[in-house]
Amino acid sequence: MSSDDELAERWRDGDEKALRTAYDRHGAAVLYLAQRLLGNRADAEDVTQVTFVAAWTSRDMFDPRRGTMLGWLLGIARRKAVDRLRSAARDDRATETVRAHLAPPDEPQTPDRIVDRLVVADELGRLPDEQRRTLELAFFDDLTHPQIAAVTGLPLGTVKSHIRRGMANLRRRWEVDGAAFGSRSAGPSRAL
Amino acid sequence: MQHLDPDRLVLLALSEQQQELSESDHLAQCAGCRYDLDSLREVADIGTEIEEVRDLPAPPESVWRAIEAGITTPVAPVTPLAGRRGRPQRERRRWLAPVLSAAAAAIVAVAGTVVAFGVLDRPPAETVTAQATLAPLPKVPVGAGGTAEVTSSGKIRIDARNLPLTPGFHEVWLIDPGDLTKMLSLGNLPAGASVELPVPPGTDLNRYRLVDISDEPHDGDATHSGQSLLRGTLTS
Repeated sequence: MSSDDELAERWRDGDEKALRTAYDRHGAAVLYLAQRLLGNRADAEDVTQVTFVAAWTSRDMFDPRRGTMLGWLLGIARRKAVDRLRSAARDDRATETVRAHLAPPDEPQTPDRIVDRLVVADELGRLPDEQRRTLELAFFDDLTHPQIAAVTGLPLGTVKSHIRRGMANLRRRWEVDGAAFGSRSAGPSRAL
Repeated sequence: MQHLDPDRLVLLALSEQQQELSESDHLAQCAGCRYDLDSLREVADIGTEIEEVRDLPAPPESVWRAIEAGITTPVAPVTPLAGRRGRPQRERRRWLAPVLSAAAAAIVAVAGTVVAFGVLDRPPAETVTAQATLAPLPKVPVGAGGTAEVTSSGKIRIDARNLPLTPGFHEVWLIDPGDLTKMLSLGNLPAGASVELPVPPGTDLNRYRLVDISDEPHDGDATHSGQSLLRGTLTS
């Protein structure tokens, strides 16, 4: 998508408007991931802030050829959230008293899966309308190909090709940015 | 060897149709088709779980303001908390400037800026830029408590009450809640339990925003004793 390339370029040039654009596009996903990992809204907002500041400070490390901006940001957010959990749990007598004040995450989820969902959802939102619509009916309404054809009025062959292409697009994105593959790959951001 | 048709793989991945025996045989032998099917299955599974993460609500604007504050090189000696208070303050100063120059120029010339500000408004030194309510930690008597106020002049004013008497002394800290091993000591809180201490220049209050009053033994160890009595988070 050309607007992504454009964003990546402005981002690397240090245009602060690019930071706002990235935040508008991906801030919600970063906050969601942080909240699921930390189980605490205030900490999640902090991690969101820290993530974007760290990403901006290290913007040279973002390499759009290795993954998308979202995948990169989620990778950073994830490490920041883990750092926070670690420091909260660190067995330090000075921290002992604070721990009682940090609410434990309500329902731990595997971070990989949450990242996967966020990148696949992002990709679904970028698919051409008919591809997206047919996949939504398959995923969320659990409809079969013939049922989707009946609901949408599209020929069965068209539904098939939309779903096949849509699935191929989601798979490609998942392989680039998903937790098992990407998220750490869009640049050497381990140090962040 | 006949590989599985891409449309067929998708139907199997979505569990819309069952594998036929010949397909199972092929998949058992063909790593490529097996890999494709596994990947598509995984994507299909993830797909069924993403309804919740579509159209997520945007984070509050305060997060953006904190980001802006975080990427800006601090100009103030003490980085103030990102928050609403910053703006009206600046606006008020802008509004004050012409008033000062027009009406109060003579007074300024004679009595100096500080007095002029005192006439028109509270002196800038008295502006509270951040504050915290200090609450007792477990094991500390519930009657104990206090307040902390950071002023625009870069000082923190601590008012504490009903602190337990100890053989040691009470020390004031600013702690980074993101990494509780990071903290700075501001000084001690005298027995009167009220003190104004300078915040070291360059301190980022967005980071070091947890005010902590500890009980320190006279053991010559400058690090935090781990015995916190009161805590509160600075907000603007």
